[in-house]
Amino acid sequence: MALAREIYRAFESIVGSRNISEDLGIRETYRCIPAQSSAHFGPYDQKTPLPQAVILPGSTEEVQQIVKLCNKYKIEFKASSTFWATMGYIGSDCAIQLDMRRMREIEIDAKNMTAVVEPYAIGATVQAEAMKRGLTLNIPGVGCSSSPLASTAGWAGFGPTSIFMGCATENMLGAEWVLPSGETLRTGSVGAGSGWFCGEGPGPSTRGILRGVVGTTGTMGVCTKVAIRLHPWPGPDHIPSVGDAPAYRAVLPDNFKGYTLCFPDWGAYANAVNLFHENPDILFLGHRQYNKFGRNLKVAMIKILNDKNKQLCDLPALMEDPVTKKQNEDMKIDVQVILAGMSKRDMAFKEKAVDTILEETGGWKSEFMQEPDIAAWNLMYLLRLGHKNLNYTLCGAYEGTFGLTGNVFVSSSLMEEASALKRKWELESDCIAAVGGDSDMGSISVMGGGGATGWEFFTQFDAYDKESIKNTKLFADATQEWMTSKGLGVDFCRWNEDARRPDGYNYTQEQHDEMYINLPQPHVTAYQYKVREAFNPNKLTGSYYRTLTPEKLKEQD
Amino acid sequence: MDNVKASLSNIVGGENLLDSPEILLGYAKDQSFVKEMKPWCVVKPKDADQVEALVKWANKARIPLVPVSSQGPHTRGDTVPGAPEAVIVDVSNLKKIHSINRQHRMAVIEPGVTYGELQAALAEKGLALSTSLAPRAGKSVLTSVLEVEPRINAVHQWSYSDPLRCMEVIWGDGVRMYTGEAGGGVRDLEKQWEKERWQVASTGPMMFDFYRMLTSAQGTMGIVTWASVKLEVLPQIHRMYFVPAQQLSELEDFVRRVVRLRFSDELFVLNGAALAGLMGETPEEIAKLREQLPPWIALVGIAGRDLLPELRVETQEQDIKEIAQQFALKMVPGLAGITGEQALAAVTGSSDETGWKARAKGAYQEIFFVTTQDKAPGFVETMKALAAEAGYPANEMGVYVQPQHMGTSCHLEFILPYDSNNPKETAKVKRLFQKASETMVGMGGFFARPYGPWAYLQLNRDAQSYKTIQELKRIFDPEGIMNPGKLTI
Repeated sequence: MALAREIYRAFESIVGSRNISEDLGIRETYRCIPAQSSAHFGPYDQKTPLPQAVILPGSTEEVQQIVKLCNKYKIEFKASSTFWATMGYIGSDCAIQLDMRRMREIEIDAKNMTAVVEPYAIGATVQAEAMKRGLTLNIPGVGCSSSPLASTAGWAGFGPTSIFMGCATENMLGAEWVLPSGETLRTGSVGAGSGWFCGEGPGPSTRGILRGVVGTTGTMGVCTKVAIRLHPWPGPDHIPSVGDAPAYRAVLPDNFKGYTLCFPDWGAYANAVNLFHENPDILFLGHRQYNKFGRNLKVAMIKILNDKNKQLCDLPALMEDPVTKKQNEDMKIDVQVILAGMSKRDMAFKEKAVDTILEETGGWKSEFMQEPDIAAWNLMYLLRLGHKNLNYTLCGAYEGTFGLTGNVFVSSSLMEEASALKRKWELESDCIAAVGGDSDMGSISVMGGGGATGWEFFTQFDAYDKESIKNTKLFADATQEWMTSKGLGVDFCRWNEDARRPDGYNYTQEQHDEMYINLPQPHVTAYQYKVREAFNPNKLTGSYYRTLTPEKLKEQD
Repeated sequence: MDNVKASLSNIVGGENLLDSPEILLGYAKDQSFVKEMKPWCVVKPKDADQVEALVKWANKARIPLVPVSSQGPHTRGDTVPGAPEAVIVDVSNLKKIHSINRQHRMAVIEPGVTYGELQAALAEKGLALSTSLAPRAGKSVLTSVLEVEPRINAVHQWSYSDPLRCMEVIWGDGVRMYTGEAGGGVRDLEKQWEKERWQVASTGPMMFDFYRMLTSAQGTMGIVTWASVKLEVLPQIHRMYFVPAQQLSELEDFVRRVVRLRFSDELFVLNGAALAGLMGETPEEIAKLREQLPPWIALVGIAGRDLLPELRVETQEQDIKEIAQQFALKMVPGLAGITGEQALAAVTGSSDETGWKARAKGAYQEIFFVTTQDKAPGFVETMKALAAEAGYPANEMGVYVQPQHMGTSCHLEFILPYDSNNPKETAKVKRLFQKASETMVGMGGFFARPYGPWAYLQLNRDAQSYKTIQELKRIFDPEGIMNPGKLTI
């Protein structure tokens, strides 16, 4: 399908001929495999639909004009900035793709610790600018090459530093947003022309339309600017680095310390995490990171990544090395933390606090992770979060499974059982990498000040083997079955299963009605239907916004 | 109307339907300048089922409902009916503390629970709730957090609406549901607790933030029948210090630095008049203190909880003291005969029934809005000029500057004490209130909680937000029965 000439020209007149394309080669690059989870890749058999045109707006005014035209001609649209996930892509044949890369401004108010960012200002750039002013930002788990605006407006936005800095919803201040109807909403103090410092009110907060526990994945229009909260960075104006890729190491003063805290059992782990939640000023960062390589592999993998003369083929030998084995066993149940002292005394207090928590819970610090080079590598890895590509190192593709998010006492008590289930599949099925069962990773807290963990099991599979892909899906069925049996809700890789059909297209309202009528509290989706009707009357943004036709509830009554 | 009364009696019981002239008069006005309007009657439901039945009934009968949770005296006009023939739904009898969870530091409370009641129950379990500044004795905790009254510990305010988390609400259309994390499970608290879910996360439960429809909404969207709140561990050591200054601007950098480094627990700035009002018991004492106190004082609280309490307090004391020195200021343990201990008790405890702001002259008017710390001195100077112009004694005007949301914004409040039995003084304050409100909005003061006339002033500056709020009101309260007239919707 192609846009009618009159419509194409109308879009072209808004952005100029250099910023619109209907070239098939270009359009093909704006398709994505419809993986069920948010951010993980794999060459599945289907792709998202081909957009009729790709448009690169350069300003809020241009976005608004485009959206108004879409309403006039009933054309679906989806805006995306760093295109990290399938949710950023269109779901219908009659749709255009907005690529926001021309909008990348960053404006920092150092005094009031805020930054106003446009869609294509990526985390690394915002962090670099903020550090010049003694500040930094929460970079979510997706990594520093993603857009902070997208994680704020579009998805969850929690990460390693969330215990200290909060997650995206907590950091979101004022926003400028072109609603699907084409009207521009500026939330809180922005709408009043008072500045970007407050996203709430006046009265009930209209920002409630723009995101809930997660963002609206582009279904509530196009966010063109958002103010986010920045946080203290008691370090130099940039992260000085040494070493070779991928083992860049951070050279930071003594008020930064990274530790891997290890525990004898999951009960001790949960107690320690709870103490960190109870004393949220101690940790600058807390994340179970390297276990993503798998319980049996992590130390060997860290050694490979830190030695330019080693490759993946050295893995088996390294795993047999008695020293590596011991180091690995030492950090079987672990979490990486970073302390950042705001003063010498503060650092001493934080060090003592960590030692006390370890003493109380029977934990210890991994000596291997404190070796100077490894410690410096760890600091760079976690503070910059620029190693997302390493997630693909083992097999080229991965899925997040299980998803033990929430109460740390519940999730940690189930960790060995979940690990055993995965280990069984690793050994009995030939589909997923055998890494030791437990490949759980994630944040010590998904919200500021603690309260809930955010865990998923990295499950690596062969991206070039259809059998591996097929069986990985079967494994995900098994993990979901296990999750359901434990009353744990939706498996991580299925968070968006109800948002887009496996063939990449939008669900119909009837299909959504069938899904949501049996929710424990279906009024949630019935109200979301009414919200969509009010602000997206032509339903132009796909089916990620979960809705239930309210009349279905009456039928049920 | 007798039939209507009979319907109401059936729902709440005859003894909980009140319509004597004296009682109605008590709800017809408050201490604000909002126009007096007598309600038709007052009902006092005993549980959420009755509240649900009331809202459903009101939808059929098309009768306005005005929810009230705190005990009087009220001061902001939000509980005075904005439409005739309204029924006051006084939920102050819903006083259950459903749960206190030490492990997750969460509590679930009903709207009638006051700060004093909750803090006492929490202390038994080694917990505490962050407060607004010396709340009134009869103030509902739930209303206080729902109306986003500023907390005095900005550095622990990760979310703007902390410590509010999940809620049960009966929306204006009669639908009863849970918000946030609790909205994703069955609508039964006991069953959620059995699954170790403690109503921790406020957002969602999906892509729409239901709880944000209720915050600062003045009861225009629905009636909340419980809320979960995030708690803190009860301090073992808790101290308060004073940092005096001649100018507000002298404290600006100090406060900003302390917040930025995440030091302190409580941290805010009062002028001498406000601190005198808070600490003095009688008008005479207040007047005397006002003379003795410096013009501006930052109050700094430091707490040591279960983990290394002495070391934390000692560390922060020294660090904050040094920061004060960097800005040529001094952190001292007492001021004008007020000890840190006394200040701490006054700040974190409940004040008397009428509230500390009324002590100076019997009545007061507040003007408060959100801004940033760097702009606060400019607003203060303007307010002083307006007071002088109006003939109001600027030295009696209290000023309260509260960093919010980890310091990204601040609550700026002017407190104007006056004698409500003196018509001339009352008229003067009323004129000043009106003029100052208009001026502050014009200068960029953001009235995020737009009570009374502020709703018009604030929403008039942002047509799209106003239109959006109206759309939301139509979704959650299609018959417009919830506190009509407030927020100009």
